[in-house]
Amino acid sequence: MSELTREPVPQGEYFETNRFAGLSLGLGVGALVGLVLCLIGAFVSPLQFSFSWMFGFILFFTMCNGCLFWIIVHYATDAEWTVVVRRQLENIAVLLLALAILAIPILLLRHQLFEWTNIPPGQDHVLDSKRQYLNWPFFIFRAVLYFVLLGGMAYLLRRFSVAQDRDGSPRFTIWMRKVSFGGLPIFGLALTFAAFDWLMGLNYRWYSTMWGPYIFAGSVGSSMSLLVLVITALRKAGYLKIVTLEHYHIMGKWMLAFCIFWAYIGFGQYMLYWYANIPEETQFFIVRNTQSWWPLSLLLVFGRFFAPFGILLLRSIKKHPHQLCWVAGWLVFMQALDMYIIVLPALHGTGVRLSIWDLICPLTIGCSLAFVYLRILGRASMFPVRDPRLIESLRLSN
Amino acid sequence: MKTPYGHNVYGIAAEYPSAAALYEAAKRVRDAGFKRWDVFSPFPIHGMDEAMGLGKSWLSAVVLAGGITGILTALILEWGPSWILYPLIVHGKPFTWRVVPAFFPIIFELTILFSAFAAFFAWQIMNGLPRWNHPMFNWNRFARVTNDGFFLAIEANDPRFSEEETQHLLEETGGQHITMIHEE
Repeated sequence: MSELTREPVPQGEYFETNRFAGLSLGLGVGALVGLVLCLIGAFVSPLQFSFSWMFGFILFFTMCNGCLFWIIVHYATDAEWTVVVRRQLENIAVLLLALAILAIPILLLRHQLFEWTNIPPGQDHVLDSKRQYLNWPFFIFRAVLYFVLLGGMAYLLRRFSVAQDRDGSPRFTIWMRKVSFGGLPIFGLALTFAAFDWLMGLNYRWYSTMWGPYIFAGSVGSSMSLLVLVITALRKAGYLKIVTLEHYHIMGKWMLAFCIFWAYIGFGQYMLYWYANIPEETQFFIVRNTQSWWPLSLLLVFGRFFAPFGILLLRSIKKHPHQLCWVAGWLVFMQALDMYIIVLPALHGTGVRLSIWDLICPLTIGCSLAFVYLRILGRASMFPVRDPRLIESLRLSN
Repeated sequence: MKTPYGHNVYGIAAEYPSAAALYEAAKRVRDAGFKRWDVFSPFPIHGMDEAMGLGKSWLSAVVLAGGITGILTALILEWGPSWILYPLIVHGKPFTWRVVPAFFPIIFELTILFSAFAAFFAWQIMNGLPRWNHPMFNWNRFARVTNDGFFLAIEANDPRFSEEETQHLLEETGGQHITMIHEE
């Protein structure tokens, strides 16, 4: 109803880095201590450490990619509601550049992680027929390419968006739209092949055509949950009061949508394997549905679909930031569980063997990224002040 | 109440120049405490629910009931024969309740189907459909509602309805061509 009410354009809101110097220091120290511990771990128990690191890395990799996806979709669909929360999506997505550094241990520990790197040609026919793709130089090339493409997109989108804060020129919106339209297929392919390389590659005998969408569904859904948590934390700290219950309602709807989409893809993958019953396909689920992995798989099914589905159906939950945060936190935890039972059974095929590194690695990566995030946060306004669609986003009603 | 020609009166309607004017008028009519009234526009107007004071629709409750009926129907029709009445080993698959993965597509589809039926029919009933005609069509100007007309009508059976005062209220809100609409 733009003709009816004229609201003043809000001024930019800036994160007071000094106010949170203590938190920043704590995270920095945590990251440093963690990295030193990880360095020790890499030498003391390289096998366990490499899988734990992969678990932590892939957890944050998927969530940062999910945020990148939301920005791309924002421009591709010319959405308006996302504008007030978009800067935080940009801040999280650009962490992909930091994750590129944290991916180095995976390349160094390849002989622990990827069995195929240890088998010389001529020993395993299954592997030999995949050598065109699964060979070390090409693997490195792809890993670099993923980060250049995904990180580059995240960097460009944030850079243009911040540049628009200064003069409000709509040409930045046009540029970002171009990046997004080009970026849609690139994003889909890069995330799919990254999931092939780093997760499916943990067992070179296994394959799934649903793997890309499965990882995509998990990362996009959990990144929306992460966004809810980040926005609520910033509101608690006194910022971003322009985010209203209407925005929470939409974020809650997306959480519900991707909760269903994840279940749809996950079940589609499971049921086709279950029905066809071909050994080289079912091996993935046999490991995860037997021994002590079975309760965890069940927890994933009920905790990630049935419970949140029932809860998120209620409109009152979606319009209640505090309650929505509990669901969002739970869904992020479920994403961690999902990644855990993708990565770790590749090492402990006979049952769950919890290790201290399963905790230290994700905490270290999380602290490092949170530290970088707080640094980035103070560099620009908390929301895109001069975005052409800001006013529409402020007056959102749905 | 009757018109001068002896018809029953459906209500009083007014035309508004824009969606914004209709939106503001709806707020006024809502605040005046009317219950049986409606607005008509060529396209959905954002925020109109709130401007009209419409609460949350209870359609969702009906849909939930439909969905639960669908789930139960599917479970009974699938589990009943294959687990309880006539267990049969197919493909070496389990034949107890564990056969449930094979049933999921049907469970899913019947849930959707029953929810959709519940939504469709409950929505028809809630809107008073199907019906052959509506008194608003007795007003020639109302034909523009599918093009560029914005209308508001207050029904005569609203407890607060009175010919002069309602007409006066519509005039105050900027309504044009205020007309009394008769029933068939």
